[in-house]
Amino acid sequence: MKRTQEIIQFTKEPYIEDVGPRKIKSIQFSLFSEVEILKLGEVEVYRGVYYDSTKKPIPNGLLDPRMGPPNKNGGCETCHGNFRECPGHYGYLVLTLPVYNVGYLGTVVDLLKCICKCCSSILLDDKERRVFLKKMRNPRTEPLMKSELQKKVVKKCTSMTSGQKSVTCSKCGYMNGMVKKGQLKIIHERGNRFLDEFNAAISHKIDLKTSVSVPPEIDPKAVYSLFKNMSDEDCELLYLSDRPEKLLVTSIPVPPIAIRPSVFVDGGTQSNENDITERLKRIIQENARLLEDISDTSFQNKSLNAWVGLQMEVAQYINSDVRGVPLHLQASKPMSGFTQRLKGKQGRFRGNLSGKRVEYTGRTVISPDPNLKITEVAIPILMARILTYPERVSQHNIEKLRQCVRNGPNKYPGAKFIKHPDGTEISLMFSSRKRHADELKFGYIVDRHLEDGDIVLFNRQPSLHRMSIMSHRARIMPWRTLRFNESVCNPYNADFDGDEMNMHVPQTEEARTEALMLMGVQNNLCTPKSGEILVASTQDFLTSSFLITRKDTFYDRASFSLICSYMGDGMDPIDLPTPALIKPVELWTGKQLFGVLLRPYSKMRVYVNLTVTEKSYSGKGETMCPSDGFVYFRNSELISGQLGKATLGNGNKDGLYSVLLRDYKSHAAATCMNRLAKLSARWIGNHGFSIGIDDVTPGENLVKQKQEEIYQNYKKCEDRIQQFNEGKLAVQPGCDAAQTLEAEVTMALNKVRDDIGKICMKALHWRNSPLIMSQCGSKGSPINISQMIACVGQQSVGGRRAPDGFIDRSLPHFPTKSKFPAAKGFVAHSFFDGLSATEFFFHTMGGREGLVDTAVKTADTGYMSRRLMKALEDLAVYYDNTVRNASASIIQFMYGDDGMDPSQMEEKKGRPLNFSRLFMKVKATCPPRGEKGLSYSEICEIVNERLSYHDMSPEGGCSEAFRASLSDFLIKNLAETLKRLREALLLGEEQYAGGDREYLENVALNISGITKKQLQVFLNMCISRYHLKRLESGTAIGAIGAQSIGEPGTQMTLKTFHFAGVASMNVTLGVPRIKEIINAAKKINTPIITAKLLSAANLTAARMIKARIEKTLLGQVAKSVKIVMASRLASIAITLDMETIQVSQLCIDAYTVKQSILQTPKIKLKEQQVKVLNPRKLEVFPQANKDKLHFELHRLKNKLPAVVVKGITTVQRAVVNKEQERDRKSDAKGETYELLVEGTGLLAVMGIDGVDGRNTKSNHIMEVQQRLGIEAARISIIDEINYTMSSHGMTIDLRHMMLLADLMTYKGEVLGITRHGVQKMKDSVLMLASFEKTTDHLFSASVNGRDDKIEGVSECIIMGIPMQIGTGMFKLRQCVQQVELNYQSEPMLS
Amino acid sequence: MADDDYDMDGGYVDEPIEPEPDEGAEIEEDNGNNEDIPDPLLGEGEEKTEQEPVERPRKTSKYMTKYERARILGTRALQISMNAPVMVELEGETDPLEIAMKELRERKIPFTIRRYLPDGSYEDWGVDELIVEDSWKRQVGGT
Repeated sequence: MKRTQEIIQFTKEPYIEDVGPRKIKSIQFSLFSEVEILKLGEVEVYRGVYYDSTKKPIPNGLLDPRMGPPNKNGGCETCHGNFRECPGHYGYLVLTLPVYNVGYLGTVVDLLKCICKCCSSILLDDKERRVFLKKMRNPRTEPLMKSELQKKVVKKCTSMTSGQKSVTCSKCGYMNGMVKKGQLKIIHERGNRFLDEFNAAISHKIDLKTSVSVPPEIDPKAVYSLFKNMSDEDCELLYLSDRPEKLLVTSIPVPPIAIRPSVFVDGGTQSNENDITERLKRIIQENARLLEDISDTSFQNKSLNAWVGLQMEVAQYINSDVRGVPLHLQASKPMSGFTQRLKGKQGRFRGNLSGKRVEYTGRTVISPDPNLKITEVAIPILMARILTYPERVSQHNIEKLRQCVRNGPNKYPGAKFIKHPDGTEISLMFSSRKRHADELKFGYIVDRHLEDGDIVLFNRQPSLHRMSIMSHRARIMPWRTLRFNESVCNPYNADFDGDEMNMHVPQTEEARTEALMLMGVQNNLCTPKSGEILVASTQDFLTSSFLITRKDTFYDRASFSLICSYMGDGMDPIDLPTPALIKPVELWTGKQLFGVLLRPYSKMRVYVNLTVTEKSYSGKGETMCPSDGFVYFRNSELISGQLGKATLGNGNKDGLYSVLLRDYKSHAAATCMNRLAKLSARWIGNHGFSIGIDDVTPGENLVKQKQEEIYQNYKKCEDRIQQFNEGKLAVQPGCDAAQTLEAEVTMALNKVRDDIGKICMKALHWRNSPLIMSQCGSKGSPINISQMIACVGQQSVGGRRAPDGFIDRSLPHFPTKSKFPAAKGFVAHSFFDGLSATEFFFHTMGGREGLVDTAVKTADTGYMSRRLMKALEDLAVYYDNTVRNASASIIQFMYGDDGMDPSQMEEKKGRPLNFSRLFMKVKATCPPRGEKGLSYSEICEIVNERLSYHDMSPEGGCSEAFRASLSDFLIKNLAETLKRLREALLLGEEQYAGGDREYLENVALNISGITKKQLQVFLNMCISRYHLKRLESGTAIGAIGAQSIGEPGTQMTLKTFHFAGVASMNVTLGVPRIKEIINAAKKINTPIITAKLLSAANLTAARMIKARIEKTLLGQVAKSVKIVMASRLASIAITLDMETIQVSQLCIDAYTVKQSILQTPKIKLKEQQVKVLNPRKLEVFPQANKDKLHFELHRLKNKLPAVVVKGITTVQRAVVNKEQERDRKSDAKGETYELLVEGTGLLAVMGIDGVDGRNTKSNHIMEVQQRLGIEAARISIIDEINYTMSSHGMTIDLRHMMLLADLMTYKGEVLGITRHGVQKMKDSVLMLASFEKTTDHLFSASVNGRDDKIEGVSECIIMGIPMQIGTGMFKLRQCVQQVELNYQSEPMLS
Repeated sequence: MADDDYDMDGGYVDEPIEPEPDEGAEIEEDNGNNEDIPDPLLGEGEEKTEQEPVERPRKTSKYMTKYERARILGTRALQISMNAPVMVELEGETDPLEIAMKELRERKIPFTIRRYLPDGSYEDWGVDELIVEDSWKRQVGGT
């Protein structure tokens, strides 16, 4: 900018202290006043024109060059900068009359409601006013409470003027009516009384006979003067931070041209103006018209019209979607206002501030490459030549960088730019590269091409969890795709059917270090969702491992060595194990290959010990399993088992890689995956594995069996249908006949497919490729196989059989009302056979549903994830181990009650350690070596001593639960077993004199004994490992939790109903249910109360209670409800059917019925009108005139049977649910009963006699909160989410759900993760603005004068500030050694 | 795992003298560079660091979190890439990050971590005081 030159030249530069980089600390929102606008403006804009004929912007027009250059050729007349330099300057535009600002219209109305429309004082009386003011001025009142208070004040004032009432101002006596918001105007209804008075007054004065009607509107000018008169105290009371007159628009700041560029089109003949410019032009025109009208004194009424027009234009300038704009005032084409610029996904907040565009990125198609390490990604040379990394020249890399500079931007290991320390940048495109290379000095920065080993971030959308973006090391390769090891497909959810992925290159040393340490693939092998391993072998790797580890694979020395060499790059030393067979030839088994894979040479100290049951495990015999399904690794040797998905695949916690990861850290697991990938890719290439038509051709036997099976089930179905038609079908509890039929038929047909699947699996040859794939878990299930080979099975649409698309039938090929399998979508053919026309159609119906489901689901779950993320994004663990949000309010005192990291939990149920596995490992890795086993008491002693150390106490950071579980495992399980064993062996504690004592001792030790060394190692390992599993301070656990709950949502099928134990009792599950819970919905789809009973084993009691809960109508228990017409009086006689009452065990008699009748509100009977004759009979006397008596009698007769005599009205029905008692070991026979009550009314159900109120639960969270309180609601949220997730087979660590539940309840009421709830959880305006209702939040923030401290994640991103989470939670300081300064001269001689 | 490196006492008292000879002779202009860079870091004066610690017992975990580790390594790698003197003997490493990792392994990174508690107070922990999770190499044995 040229202005700088005008500054006085000092002979000596003045000293300006360098205060270091400045940081935005907070943002204050306030109202913009007219004075400020005028001060800011460089030019008054009053001409609604753009350019003159010579294409020069017209002065005082909308493109006045004083507001910045309108295009590239112009210059700024204010700062003399050019198009690139000038930041733009404001102009101003003064309105003739004030108008409302649409954003503040609501606030203006609220204010007007509260003040007197004459003297501007508040309508509240003095005492109330002072009470509210005191509350408002309390410095500890939070903004949220303040706005609540303000709402209360408004409500109070409104209630005074509601209806036709009007209130007289206590100060001036003016009568105030109701204030209403009209369409961009404000209406003040002062009621008829006022008008009458007015008319009366007029009639006295003038001789006008016509009654005068006063326009009910308050015009903005009146409002302006009213607001101007308001006292500051009243403003404060109404939570205004500023003068209220600023809420009205009196002048408009004309924004700089930089934000509303003007573009020449058609070769410079026409200019295309920005929407904002066009809107301003209309405002100027309208303003001019208004001015004209006002100055023209002849027509008074016309001025109003132009004023309305101006109001409309200004409103649309701010928000073009504003309602109430008459058609003729709307622009022909939609023009956006300022609100539209900010709002929505593409708006300023979400589109530019929260999500920024970046450089140094690449995107292309992906493809697999098993020869890459899992941490690597192959980047095409083409891409590597474009992406650069700025490397600083140092002595280590100067030669390399010289070569890069010499190569220039077009030859691969080259460079694009050189940056000098003084900031000059040299492009290597044209300039003499050789010279630059020679002149390269330390400290220069060279933007060199990407090279091998560089760190890049790799990402695939949708980025549902943090493993969707991980850092890899680059490998520059030829060709055009990004390639990576297939083992890493899982976290990205990528396949190679044309998927594309993105890549980013971090540009500083700090960024790449953080990327590597925190986002590296090897540091994200397992998911924090549940601690299961996510990066693991897939597909072919599993198949080949399965084939290699077959019991009958043997290799001679040559082939075994060859396969061993497949594993690495030929650089690693390998020690061949001892061959399994020595004579007649040395032979190694395939299983030994895995020993080599895990521990290639004997110096490597990897000792894996684990047992896994594969899918094929027969369930008995452990290592001797006939189908070899029991995988047993002992000290890195595969003892038994054919490896499959359970051992090598993802989604498990005790597979091979999980164990490696836990015991030997990520590098060991990663190298094993690399080895297996290489081995199996090469091995299977030689071995061959493919699928052909003969693999899916059913054998003769299979065809016969299938036919038989189908015939059998068809017959069964036909029987049922016949029974149904004859009305003989035995009805299932809680269903009608049709439902029962459907349920039974569907069950039978679903069974067909499963049964045939089983038959298939048995009948297929063991070399059958689909069979192998299904067995090892690489691809396909038995159902897929049976669909290909035998029978496709029942097609379902919406969870039931194919619906009727025609009258009473699904397709016209079938007779009407046919319920036969084939007519309702049963496909008896296999894909190999080919489907018949109708079958094909049914199949497409099922397929279509799936497609629709996924399409709908993505949008739904996406929004859910977004909301979860917005609500939880700023929760982090702080250094005092509390979980807090950005404004440091505590959400949890200890994360998940024990502060453990969910991603490191080793046990299936989310406990930190799998003791039995660790124990096995210790026993295997530390053999007793002649040491003696410990006795029961010795074990107890050692354990208790170790448990009393500091690091096992709560202060030492150990949870009570862990301590208990550890001592339980050792003392209860281990020591007790040992004790029992020794007793069985007659060893006992006392001396056993037999000669074989030593031998027996050994047996005991080997079975379940433990030596001192082993025990100590075990204890220390458990405890030290436990301490390392603590959640680290700084972890953004909220974001992780949000992802952990949001991500499984995408995998859930949208609408799934599930039986809750009893047939026909449906509960909403899947995404809709999660949505209900998270939204804290007031009304849920299927509210169910689970009532435990006091005498749970008694079925009759259960039935009795059920009858009492379910609502019983009088009509159901009455024998008769008759009109009795006697001569003197007419009545209705009700006779109760005591038998029915007895049978259903309701305690009803005429007295209780009378009470019920009296309590029923609509019947309106009085005490005297109902008379009890005897316990089974009562009479009702209507009270009415003679002429109406007849109607009254009939009305009563119709109404009375609907009186609820027993039960809870809000309950739809109750079902007795039989529960097999499993958890109690003592008597397995016990069947218990509980009641499932459909409907709400938890309190009433709990109050019913016989219901165990303390154990009664409801799935309706809001009801639980109302009835039982906030803690119960919290538990209920956790339980319900957990139940929903687990019924979809998804394991999520309980801690995530706890965090969510805690966040939803920490304010003392259940807040949903919706815009209303989030608003109450967060203080930050910017965060709320970037969430939903952008402009509403901004407007209200400015009215209330909110201050946004930039502390949360969203705000920091918007402001571009590092956030206080993770690596930003602490500060690093350099330690500087104090240098001892010695001012004396050194001695000459020492 | 953590039991074999218990050398908590090994501060940075006698380090700077040793790495000096093999590094210092080569580039003099680098030292000039180097002095400029850490200046903002030491900012508020070295005395504070010496006096501040342990008014009360430090309560936060004695393990270094992965975030601390990542940032320390990142900052140190940046310093090294800008030709800061290396505190360990090099065995052919050239990547600044690798050098930083080696320095951390030998606990010779001259940083203190200032851990802020939610109430605004802080604790200073020297890098050499914290227990760093060991690399896999020791357990697996080489490579």
